[in-house]
Amino acid sequence: MQLPVLNNTPSQAEHGAKGGCSASSCGTTDNQMDSLPDSIREKVQNHPCYSEDAHHYFARMHVAVAPACNIQCHYCNRKYDCANESRPGVVSELLTPDQAVKKTMAVAATIPQMTVLGIAGPGDPLANPERTFETFRRLSEEAPDIKLCVSTNGLALPDAVEELSKHNIDHVTITINTVDPEIGAKIYPWIFWNNKRIKGIKGAKILIEQQQKGLEMLIAKGILVKVNSVMIPGVNDQHLAEVSRVVKSKGAFLHNVMPLIAEAEHGTFYGVMGQRGPTPDELQDLQDSCSGDMNMMRHCRQCRADAVGLLGEDRGDEFTLDKIEEMDIDYQAAMEKRKVIHQAIQEEMDSKRLEKAVKAQQHQQEPKLTTRPVLMAVATSGQGVINVHFGHAKEFLIYEASPEGVRFISHRKADQYCGGDSTCGDGESVLQLTIRALAGCEAVLCSKVGYEPWEMLEAAGIAPNGEHAMEPIEDAVMAVYKEMAAAGKLDEKNEAVRANA
Amino acid sequence: MAVSIIDLCVNCFACEPVCPSHAISEAKPHFMVDPKKCTECEGDFPVFQCASICPIEGAILDSFGVAINPPGSLTGIPPEKMAEAMAELQSH
Repeated sequence: MQLPVLNNTPSQAEHGAKGGCSASSCGTTDNQMDSLPDSIREKVQNHPCYSEDAHHYFARMHVAVAPACNIQCHYCNRKYDCANESRPGVVSELLTPDQAVKKTMAVAATIPQMTVLGIAGPGDPLANPERTFETFRRLSEEAPDIKLCVSTNGLALPDAVEELSKHNIDHVTITINTVDPEIGAKIYPWIFWNNKRIKGIKGAKILIEQQQKGLEMLIAKGILVKVNSVMIPGVNDQHLAEVSRVVKSKGAFLHNVMPLIAEAEHGTFYGVMGQRGPTPDELQDLQDSCSGDMNMMRHCRQCRADAVGLLGEDRGDEFTLDKIEEMDIDYQAAMEKRKVIHQAIQEEMDSKRLEKAVKAQQHQQEPKLTTRPVLMAVATSGQGVINVHFGHAKEFLIYEASPEGVRFISHRKADQYCGGDSTCGDGESVLQLTIRALAGCEAVLCSKVGYEPWEMLEAAGIAPNGEHAMEPIEDAVMAVYKEMAAAGKLDEKNEAVRANA
Repeated sequence: MAVSIIDLCVNCFACEPVCPSHAISEAKPHFMVDPKKCTECEGDFPVFQCASICPIEGAILDSFGVAINPPGSLTGIPPEKMAEAMAELQSH
């Protein structure tokens, strides 16, 4: 079965009823799924991990049932478990399948917006087939209204495809960092294969072959495949466009390029050896070239293997083992309630999507501005509106406004992950760090901005703006963009924007 | 003749299913090898299965008490580099 792929349809996007706009995401970010076939769009449009607007409404969770791994990656350290850390491979509490089912149902009953359950580790889910499949089997039966996802390094994937196709699983994510064994040897020091630890190029070659074979088998079964790649400057950054081409030609519907997370304190090979991660503009350039118009994963938060809640939040603390033990869940009743709430959310999303589409149309009819693009940061806690005080924002969403319209670019963390200390290393305050995280942005839109940050933001060349509280993000960004354009602030080429973005 | 798992173990379960003698079991505070059952894989495999999948350097010792996976052998991080990074972190 050959699935259409994202970048194969540029001519349609260009020649459709788009009124001369060359980007299919023209006007707003939400037309980003237009070039997907209906069957796939239906599956992904309400998935918080795939749809930029859905992630403001629907929540996801991961259950940590899969501790064992069959390979070593240089960005991973199996020793690490810190509650303050948020990155893949990190968990606080390992669950048995039974505990995972209980936890999932407890979360689904308490947070009815939770629609997606993923198994992502902390090891490799398919290196723990019994625990992973027991969890999926029971959830398919006991909580049929929850979508199931799994992510894997791919080594054991070919043997698992048959079993995966039996459950309620329609998305599989494979992490493919390379299709070249020589590059692979620089990312994967060893794999465990056929009862041996195999190092270097030989191991990487087997891993790559298994990943590609697994990908082909999933596509043949009609299971949606997303490919994740970790961008490692100097190792695979130049090569990921080739990875993108290969996996899309085989039928992966989405290629998500994520930045390497490497700090010495993580104790990973890359962290200790001083391998740097990509800068935001390096990442954005590569994501643009790999995802084409479909910037569907820009809101990816690279969440923990036991994350619970909306993307960017973690409510895992409310659902520790001792707490779920005490909960008495009537799942039938919960399912009824969930259905009503999901319908209400769906209606709200549909009407907002329609509204945005109408606005995008209007935007295209207006005379086109001729400014340079500008980046703005937005503080939001969801629902697609500006509703967070500058000082309370844990992260900012970055939008680009240009003559083509408004598009979502990425998110940036405002606080340091280690949070406890108000000063760090070189004595910068949290506020200074936050402002530094906004480098390249020329405005920041929040529900309110205090006096001290206001002055510091202005000094840093970032215009603070609290005038659009509770307004839809895209509208507000567009309004500020038009003001800036009218004031002549966007006439000059601003080299700094791209350099620091 | 038996291998042993020591307290560096992170309880990742990887070794338990690959043991041909079912000598490894989940225990507190970490997985344990039953020395009466462990055969050091003799007759089954040419290499220790548990130590071939274990991701943690130094967590599994041979019958002489020597780490089967010494520092640096799995992560590729030179031990002196690791010590340097840790000293740097502790000085903060």
